[in-house]
Amino acid sequence: MKDKSRFAGLLAVAVSVILAAAVAHGGDEEDGGRIIFTKPVKAVVFDHKVHVAGAGLECDSCHDEIFEMETGQAESRDDFTMESLYQGKYCGACHDGDTAFASNTRCTLCHIGVKGYMREMGGGEAARSGH
Amino acid sequence: MKISKLEQMENEGVDGVPLEERRKFLKFGLAVTGVFLGGSVLSLTSVRNASGGAGPVPEAGKFPYRPHYSMVIRQNRCIDCERCKEACVRTNHVPEYGFRTTILERRHVIGPDEEETIFMPVLCNHCNRPPCVRVCPTTATYKDKKNGIVMMDIKKCIGCKTCMAACPYNARYFNEEIRAVDKCNFCFDTRLSRGEKLTACAAACPAHVRVFGDLTDTSSELYQIIHAPERTVWVLRPETGALPNVYYVNA
Repeated sequence: MKDKSRFAGLLAVAVSVILAAAVAHGGDEEDGGRIIFTKPVKAVVFDHKVHVAGAGLECDSCHDEIFEMETGQAESRDDFTMESLYQGKYCGACHDGDTAFASNTRCTLCHIGVKGYMREMGGGEAARSGH
Repeated sequence: MKISKLEQMENEGVDGVPLEERRKFLKFGLAVTGVFLGGSVLSLTSVRNASGGAGPVPEAGKFPYRPHYSMVIRQNRCIDCERCKEACVRTNHVPEYGFRTTILERRHVIGPDEEETIFMPVLCNHCNRPPCVRVCPTTATYKDKKNGIVMMDIKKCIGCKTCMAACPYNARYFNEEIRAVDKCNFCFDTRLSRGEKLTACAAACPAHVRVFGDLTDTSSELYQIIHAPERTVWVLRPETGALPNVYYVNA
């Protein structure tokens, strides 16, 4: 009796772990989720959902020519700047004022700042506001 | 005359007072209540030189200080990267519980399902009529006679925090280490007096949000921005009458 209930408990734990992993993995596969860039400034958000479900883009609209699949590649380069965007690189490939709103407008739509970054990371902004 | 004798005197009434005496008395009363002073003493009348629609920017040539240090915030370029804050903390040794400058955030609904975020950098406004200076009981905080910066003399500060309550901009904090109130002084001691032209925050801003300069220099970028024809310039809490020197525009 005792063994049986222990087995049931273990099974429940195992199933829930596998399910959680599948959900997390599935989420990653569906779209890339929310990408938070922290370089060169803190912080910029890119939401895959807005671009795939919202704007109707395909994966290969951006990958691998404009952005590599692997997170953090663009960020590691020195030319990942607003100036490059104005020249049509990275986000600027679409955000040129024609295909999508121009890169030099609506700054805070993508730039969520340190406060936005703290929220994304689950920390309260009150912790940083200084009073 | 002795006071004891005064009590014994008979009341003359007001009928016997000459008209001229009455007039003098009334004039004195009006002067005390501020009617003759444009309301600046007790604010019983409106401010004489108030001018609606003219905006917060003084007319060219009407700046009381030389150099007249000022800052314009190009608000919609701010992305809250907070490099200004970091630079300020480094330069002026600001503890983590206080700030000399910070960024406020506001969500602004612009459509049925749409919001925009506005980041608003704030700092001491170095007002021409600073409420903090007016309330300081020891003159520890004062307006520099030459450049108009609202300074702190920390040796005189007794930590009563009245200035913190008086400031309309929440630009002051009590520094536990120096046991005095600390605030932005446009980096006067740390940079300007050492020959630097910009405050630490203005120098650190990657988006050129903070434009610092001298308003008496008509060729300065600062002057050009706030005097550009048709540009909307605003200040924070203009109703306090403090005449702030930090201006806001959208670039």
